[in-house]
Amino acid sequence: MVNKALLSTLPDDPRYLDASYNVQGPLPEEDRNLLSNLKPEERELAKQFWEAVKSDFRFNEYLRGCLNCGVCTSGCPAAKFYDFGPREMIQYMMRNEVDKIWEFVNKKVWACVQCYTCSMRCPFNNEIAGLIMLLREYAVKFALPSAKEVLAPYRRVLLTVITMGNQVTPDMIQPDAFPDWGPQAVEESKNMDVYRKAIPVDLLQRTDIGWHSSLQTAVEIMTIFIESGVLDSIKKIDKDLYDMIMDIYEERKQTLEEIKEKWKKGELKEEDLPDSWLEL
Amino acid sequence: MSVQSVEKKLEEEIKSEFPYADNVDWNEVYQRIIYRYSTPHGLQHVKEELYKLEDEGEIIVHHIKPENNPVEVQTLNGFPKKIPTTKLWHHKSCGQCGHIPGYPTSVFWMMNKLEVDYLDEPHQTSCTGWNYHASGASNPVALAGVFVRNMWRAYETGYYPLIHCGTSFGHYKEVRNMIILHKEIREKLRPIMRKLGMDIVIPEEIVHYSEWLFVMSKKAAQQKKYDLSNIKAAVHTPCHVYKLVPEDTIYDPAVYQGRRPAAPTGTVMNFGAKIVDYSTWWDCCGFGFRHILTEREFSRSFALFKKVIPAVEEGHADVFVTSDTGCVTTLDKSQWVGKAHGLNYNLPVLSDAQFAAIAMGADPYLIAQIHWHATDVEGFLRKIGVPVDDYKEKFLQYLQDLREGKAEPQYLYPKHRKIDFYLALPDRVKWYKGNK
Repeated sequence: MVNKALLSTLPDDPRYLDASYNVQGPLPEEDRNLLSNLKPEERELAKQFWEAVKSDFRFNEYLRGCLNCGVCTSGCPAAKFYDFGPREMIQYMMRNEVDKIWEFVNKKVWACVQCYTCSMRCPFNNEIAGLIMLLREYAVKFALPSAKEVLAPYRRVLLTVITMGNQVTPDMIQPDAFPDWGPQAVEESKNMDVYRKAIPVDLLQRTDIGWHSSLQTAVEIMTIFIESGVLDSIKKIDKDLYDMIMDIYEERKQTLEEIKEKWKKGELKEEDLPDSWLEL
Repeated sequence: MSVQSVEKKLEEEIKSEFPYADNVDWNEVYQRIIYRYSTPHGLQHVKEELYKLEDEGEIIVHHIKPENNPVEVQTLNGFPKKIPTTKLWHHKSCGQCGHIPGYPTSVFWMMNKLEVDYLDEPHQTSCTGWNYHASGASNPVALAGVFVRNMWRAYETGYYPLIHCGTSFGHYKEVRNMIILHKEIREKLRPIMRKLGMDIVIPEEIVHYSEWLFVMSKKAAQQKKYDLSNIKAAVHTPCHVYKLVPEDTIYDPAVYQGRRPAAPTGTVMNFGAKIVDYSTWWDCCGFGFRHILTEREFSRSFALFKKVIPAVEEGHADVFVTSDTGCVTTLDKSQWVGKAHGLNYNLPVLSDAQFAAIAMGADPYLIAQIHWHATDVEGFLRKIGVPVDDYKEKFLQYLQDLREGKAEPQYLYPKHRKIDFYLALPDRVKWYKGNK
């Protein structure tokens, strides 16, 4: 029964809004004794992982409470196809269930399609899709095996986005990789050169990049990724990719500095430059 | 019955209906209700804080000026949003430029036709939002850096950024909020930007091209070349346009009484097509960021079963119109594969920009580049009376000539100088505009 005595036991944390705190709130680990189900080598890592997620500046802003109403999961596209639901994640988070969160991160978190339907519908204004991104971000930061596995087929995209600031390239649509896109995609990939030339914007006429960005822009975006620490995470996930990106960075940075220097001194002759720095 | 007894009865009734009422600290309940229905930072709109930071000299705000000829519209919460209509800096989309090139070229073509002043530069990167939502291989400071770097490039030219991609639009709204609301992000971001010779610039409004197209659509429709009144159009409003930071999406009473986002539905209506509804209008297209690349069994099933089939079977749509990179790709590329299971669907998918440009008489191949689409766009064109075969013959000849070196490529705006592909020079706007 709800009474003043119970309400007065509510913690300061406003996430536990209603009287169901005694069933919604976190249980001490001694009572649950579920953490012990984790393998010993995973226990510490799971705890560290969860503490890191909780200490992120976005966590308290994104997780604002839960009624267990299930509106998030009822509108979730991924929940219709996978054993996945945002409600289960929120409930684990509300209850501080380290072991369950660990399992969720390793098995399910990559199923989300990031449509933000759950976030828009949540009666608590939880930023649910944002919480999923937090888990993913930290999965990469911690170089968890599940993150490595998911990112393995994604290497080329990561290389393109970090070194050129473009997520996709026209020539990635190869018939053997995208046969389900139909005969038109095959036709395009066979005659990509001429099709790209027939686009009436000069920036869009290459087959190896979505639009032709400037060398300065490419160096600037690599600088941002390096200075902000993204490359440190990549290093743990995929050392070869990291080395490749750093080599490209050093080379391009040097070329850019030389060109800038010449331009400042008025010694740069435009006609001596290749049509594209991508051919350097 | 006396007054006293009525009151007593009332009290008893209240007590029996709300047995805990006496024991509840109502003040606490109110506080909690306020918490639940408020924004995390207790602001009506993040712009309040944006202007405060500008006054304190913490950030530079790229304002929408009278020279941008802005139009005021309403957002979800009824707040006004200014949509600049000219002097625009194109923030292109990687997926559009890579796989649906007719999408940006249709926007440029319409801007030429409507005499809108714009700038399209090689000094832009994609928002990297696709990568972030797919892989998680980024962090808040990197995302903020990418956003601010692009916004700086627009700011220094004096042209106002217009975001082409729905994900970039939603993602940038989130990143903007994060930079404004979190000092620690600004403190980590500033030294990186200084290293690049830049400072933190935030545009007053984050504006999607579909919003620009919606506010321009009545004027644009005056130049309509084909009659669309027999066309039944199903609309898919992209999730990242209206579910990510929903309070910044525009609504209009004339579009489903304001119960759906104004764009792109309003644009399609203003061009005279009939809008048809279907039960899963609110659902995602199935793109999923990583899914479309490495887990396509999900994307194609979802697109077909949850979007295309309802649009055809319930709405009897002739065309599917949407306004984002991922949605055009997923809806368009997921239909052919259905044949494997005897599901023969071939609903043409177009972006609102291509739809509008074609209606205004744009060349469906050279401008709208419909040959990159997998669905039967030609069938739709024939239905509205476009002389498809003539255009096609001309375009095939053009391809042949390009191949043989007999023709020079055509351009919607003058080509960039060679140096522009290397350095972002301060004189570039002057050169570009002087040359036009």
